[in-house]
Amino acid sequence: MKVSRHVSSLLLASLLAAPSLFAQGAPAEPSAVAQPTASAAIPAPAQTQQAVDHAVGQEAKKVDIILPHISDSDEMDLPWPNAQGFRVVHLPHWAPIMIGGYALDMSPTKHVVMMIIAGLLCCVILISAAGAQGRHTAQGKAPKGFSGTIEAMVLYIRNEVILPAVGPHGERFVPYLLTVFFFILFANLLGLVPYGSTATGNISVTAMLAIIAFFVIEIAGMRALGKNYISTVFYWPHDMPLYGKLLMTTIMTPVEILGKFTKPFALCIRLFANMTAGHVMVLALISIVFTFGSVLIGIAPVAMAVGIMLLELFVAFLQAYVFTLLVSSFIGQIRTVEGH
Amino acid sequence: MLGGGPGIAADRHPPETLMRSSLLRSFALIALSPAALLAQEEASSTRPFMRPDTGLMVWTLIIFVILLFVLSRYAFGPLTRAVQARERSLQEAIDAANADRAAAAALLAEHQAAIEAARTDAQKLIAEGRAVAEKMRADLLEHTRKEQQDMLERARRDIEAEKDKAIAQLRKEAVDLALAGASKVIEQNLDSAKNRQLVESYLASIGSLKVTQ
Repeated sequence: MKVSRHVSSLLLASLLAAPSLFAQGAPAEPSAVAQPTASAAIPAPAQTQQAVDHAVGQEAKKVDIILPHISDSDEMDLPWPNAQGFRVVHLPHWAPIMIGGYALDMSPTKHVVMMIIAGLLCCVILISAAGAQGRHTAQGKAPKGFSGTIEAMVLYIRNEVILPAVGPHGERFVPYLLTVFFFILFANLLGLVPYGSTATGNISVTAMLAIIAFFVIEIAGMRALGKNYISTVFYWPHDMPLYGKLLMTTIMTPVEILGKFTKPFALCIRLFANMTAGHVMVLALISIVFTFGSVLIGIAPVAMAVGIMLLELFVAFLQAYVFTLLVSSFIGQIRTVEGH
Repeated sequence: MLGGGPGIAADRHPPETLMRSSLLRSFALIALSPAALLAQEEASSTRPFMRPDTGLMVWTLIIFVILLFVLSRYAFGPLTRAVQARERSLQEAIDAANADRAAAAALLAEHQAAIEAARTDAQKLIAEGRAVAEKMRADLLEHTRKEQQDMLERARRDIEAEKDKAIAQLRKEAVDLALAGASKVIEQNLDSAKNRQLVESYLASIGSLKVTQ
């Protein structure tokens, strides 16, 4: 409702602004005509560029619209029926918890709130879907409606992504991996709604998710391999002479250990970078409008920003899927390592 | 101020662009609603972009673990159970349908066999009836022929008997005639007792002959 009103005001604005823009452009025209065309072609854009640079430089000192948007913050905007359409809410600041000599600041931030919202959305949607499906099944009816969609998603992730990648006895990992998928998905999608922000575009959040994944992978390896787990740390080729074994172990052990950390590290960076990049793109495109200060020029960037937003919507699903798939296949990999 | 554009424009042309700038502000709100942060830029409550934040990491861990517990207990478990129950009931329905189909096929085969048997019986009955009729006809024919034969035989015997009787009659007539004739002759020639005696003994021999016949 609100958005449609804004869109209509945007259309109205472009209609109203167009004549005045032409009026502004009119005085510039004679000067360009007065000069010889060949020489005018180069200096005129250069001048414009200079002016833009100047303006950008001025504004860049004053406002940075991109970083604050994608960074965490101690305050957040709530939709509010006032002239600005929002209200800044300062989140409480709690005294840091002292652990040993380290001060752990547990004050809630914008991204914490977003994560809690994402978690609550997950709970509400998935639990209500599960309840609805249970009722349908109890009544002997086929799955239907939104709960059917959720069930199809859960089943797809479970049967087509997790179970094939994890391999035999993968059932134990299904709840964790499904939680990863839906939590990341909802956190991603919350970044696309107005007043929202992307918790998964924060390196701390993705790092924690990667650390959890690291422990799940390694513990899965330990439980599946038993004492053979050590062979995933120390490389020990059995079909080589002793000097070969020593050589290979010396070279490969650091590689193996490094490999354990690069995988979660890549997970962390991939999710963070994907979520951040789209938002930076959208904001940069929107910034073009304000840089030029013209609605007419703004049409193309806004169209492109809409395209990027649609891409972002796809990426939100894709990255949740990719994270889940990769963690699943890492678990599958470590469980099928050839132990001797 | 939101962004640079409207601000600058308003500075340059204050009266005519006032409305435009307010419209632009509303446009900016939809495109960039969280970027309304800009208004509070000076307050600088923004946290450093790339610096890992242990508080946030702990928050992430807490939220994730709670979510994992709640979802696996109240969402994925029931959902999986519902799906499994449905799969089971579907499997049961399919099995039941298969069993029904097999039963129906067996029943059909049975009925077909019964129909086939009935048809064979009917054929047999017809064949039997035809055989009986045939036999009856043959018997009747045979009987008729025999009767005819019998009748013929009897007729022949009757004819034979009549013939014998006629012959005997004829012979007696002949004897009588001969005697009559002879008596006429003898009456004229001989009228002695000796002759008479001779004739009478002859007649007696004929009479005994007749009795023996």
